[in-house]
Amino acid sequence: MLFPTATFAIFFMIVLPLSWALMRSGESWRAFIIAASFVFYAGWDWRFCFLLAFSIAWNQAFALAIHGRSSKHARKQLLVVALVGNLGLLGYFKYYDFFVTSTNNLFALAGIDVPLEARSILLPVGISFFTFMAISYVVDVYRGDFAPVGLGTFAAYLSFFPHLVAGPIVRPGELIPQLQAPRDPRYVDTSRAFFLIGTGLFMKVVIANHLAANIVDEVFGAPNQHSSLEVLVGIYAYSVQIYADFFGYTNIAIGIALLLGFTFPQNFDAPYSATSITDFWRRWHMTLSRWLRDYLYIPLGGNRGGTLFTYRNLMLTMLIGGLWHGAGWTFVVWGGIHGSALVAERWWRGRPGFVERPWTRGRRAWHRFVTFQVVCFAWIFFRSDSFADAWDLIERLFSAWGEPSPLVTWGVVAAIAVGIGSQYLPRHLPLAIMARFSRLPIPAQAVVLAFALLVVQAMGPEGVAPFIYFQF
Amino acid sequence: METHETSTRRPRRRTAEGGRRLHSAGSAIVVSAAGLLVALLLNAPGLHKSATIQPEGWKRDVALGVTGPLEGLSGALLLDRPRAALKEALGRSDDDEVDTAVVAPQPKPTTPVTTPTAPPQRVKFTPEKKLRLWIAGDSLVVVPGESVLREVAGNRALDAADAIEGRIASGLERPDVFNWFTHVREVMETRKPRAVVLMFGGNDDHGFMTGIEGRDVGTFGSPTWRAEYRRRVATVMDTVTSRGGYLVWIGLPISRDADQTLRFDLINSIVQTEAAERKGRVSYLDTYFFFAGDDGGYAQYVEDETGKLVKMRADDGVHFERAAGDLIADKVLERLDDRYDFTSWRTR
Repeated sequence: MLFPTATFAIFFMIVLPLSWALMRSGESWRAFIIAASFVFYAGWDWRFCFLLAFSIAWNQAFALAIHGRSSKHARKQLLVVALVGNLGLLGYFKYYDFFVTSTNNLFALAGIDVPLEARSILLPVGISFFTFMAISYVVDVYRGDFAPVGLGTFAAYLSFFPHLVAGPIVRPGELIPQLQAPRDPRYVDTSRAFFLIGTGLFMKVVIANHLAANIVDEVFGAPNQHSSLEVLVGIYAYSVQIYADFFGYTNIAIGIALLLGFTFPQNFDAPYSATSITDFWRRWHMTLSRWLRDYLYIPLGGNRGGTLFTYRNLMLTMLIGGLWHGAGWTFVVWGGIHGSALVAERWWRGRPGFVERPWTRGRRAWHRFVTFQVVCFAWIFFRSDSFADAWDLIERLFSAWGEPSPLVTWGVVAAIAVGIGSQYLPRHLPLAIMARFSRLPIPAQAVVLAFALLVVQAMGPEGVAPFIYFQF
Repeated sequence: METHETSTRRPRRRTAEGGRRLHSAGSAIVVSAAGLLVALLLNAPGLHKSATIQPEGWKRDVALGVTGPLEGLSGALLLDRPRAALKEALGRSDDDEVDTAVVAPQPKPTTPVTTPTAPPQRVKFTPEKKLRLWIAGDSLVVVPGESVLREVAGNRALDAADAIEGRIASGLERPDVFNWFTHVREVMETRKPRAVVLMFGGNDDHGFMTGIEGRDVGTFGSPTWRAEYRRRVATVMDTVTSRGGYLVWIGLPISRDADQTLRFDLINSIVQTEAAERKGRVSYLDTYFFFAGDDGGYAQYVEDETGKLVKMRADDGVHFERAAGDLIADKVLERLDDRYDFTSWRTR
């Protein structure tokens, strides 16, 4: 059930009033929202519901078991089993075939036939997201940061449909307290919710889909057929497409949760205005960055073991982060490029005598420009099906200047400009729009919302393409 | 039980960051419902088209039952005007129209198109006289199409600009979704491609046909269904060949779903028969055994010629991965090479 569809609109218009009607009764509300979330999830494939239910049962059982033990050793053993279960599930569904083909092909180089067969396993949508949320719950309980909650509350936390299939990755401490205490029906941040849903739909349906259909798919599909200018613009277009797609999804998710009375953390903060790769990861998919920092980088040792140790941890975190996005070596390289850039930046700043110079307008612009180029370069590997494809694209970037570029249209340039330009909007502008909207009479708000939906529906292409991050 | 009592007193106004007012849950519900309702009326023509082109079934029936009257009401209240104006400004006035005409080409009196003729001579193309290529069909054609373009990259005797058109969910059964009969004719008349690669049928394995003007063609595979589908395949083939195009038609592959494979077989047999009747002008490319495993059944991973295990088919069990596209592209280019010489110019 995709957000920008009539099916979801009907689903949500049933869930929204019922959710508020049941809100005062905690147990009934939780049972209702769990049921609604499972219906939402079954919209992809009902068999996946068993997987989600298993994840809930498994992690709740281990959270209770860990909490009930006083021995540190026993707690640690239980945590390890819980993590093996979670990562085993993720590994089987997401990485089994990748592992088999990589192993087979590696041994085939030496002429050894490995008796492992690929199983054509269907990837359950959202498994990477809810597995990470489940891990954070069990680890937080292990660390003593969080006491286990009732099964109903945990099930509502893990399955809550606004975040279920593509995040944001909401931590237990952020959502569970909200699920335990009913939301106050007198104070709902409706103007922010509608603003987020409207902008999210526009970015996904109009910007991302337009760029995908009019340049990105063609350029990445057959780069050798396109001019260097088309390839260059195609790479920039993909960087905007993936941002608009994921930012759009996240905005809709946060807006929907807000209408239900729940607040999710921010997931993007103008990432293409970052002045370094370190800064980029504070702004891009922020909930994943936090997760990787708190549940991977710091447990690996973080920056506590010396310079080389820190570099190793940074690199490992980004390589694993890359692999989390997809079962392919191109994703690992994408993570490796970011990891290398983070290491290089840390080395640069850690040089003896290094003094951070004050930002000037020109210096900031230069840093933003360079950072954006590095990010775009890494996206080539993220989007390409193979290294050969990525190489073809890079080679074409330099070898076909001056050839006709029919794909570089005003529509494509305008969509890229909107995507990049949105990063530089003054922060008070959205706030002012939301404030103005919130002061309109209720009928006027409905009319504004309707016209926003008209613009999105009329400007978007026919049909709805799935969100890119659903495949992760 | 975790419960929480909230006051029923009239709430104080409360504001959030930037001075925006918070509203009640009731307001959220009213604005959402009213906004969606007005949006339904404003977008009624588009929604009705979306309902029309849905797959057959109760969802489509319900959607048509709702959007039909809604479109009428929207028109009566002139609420469809803003959308029409916006579409016109975007240069997409035709978006909400549904074209279901299945128009066969008008054969020239002197050149009967259905009579087999002797295979024409292999025609030579050069950078000065380019062979224009067009690859089109449903979503299945995209990956093989991209592979074809990759393989011919740098060949200046080929004009492959804007060569691929893959339309999701389209086919020959549902011209309401996308009218290939009209589009193929337009492309053949305006762009005049000489080498045409088509792949249809992936969305045609059911009994619901449009563009039949009230006739009943029966269920999928029935004699009447076969006759009508055959007519449509022949129409597309003749539209291409009567305008000077040489057509390579890519057959449907084995699919993960055995029942679907059987349905694909039927479609393939119709296409194959029609292609055979147009020998020298249409070439049918059978892909079935490209993707069969050792047991002859469906396989997602297949060993390539070097013994390397490669993923051939997408996770949906129907679409192609790049390696499969490359395999098909090789065969397509072999067929085109039989008919056209677009490589010897390099040795001049």
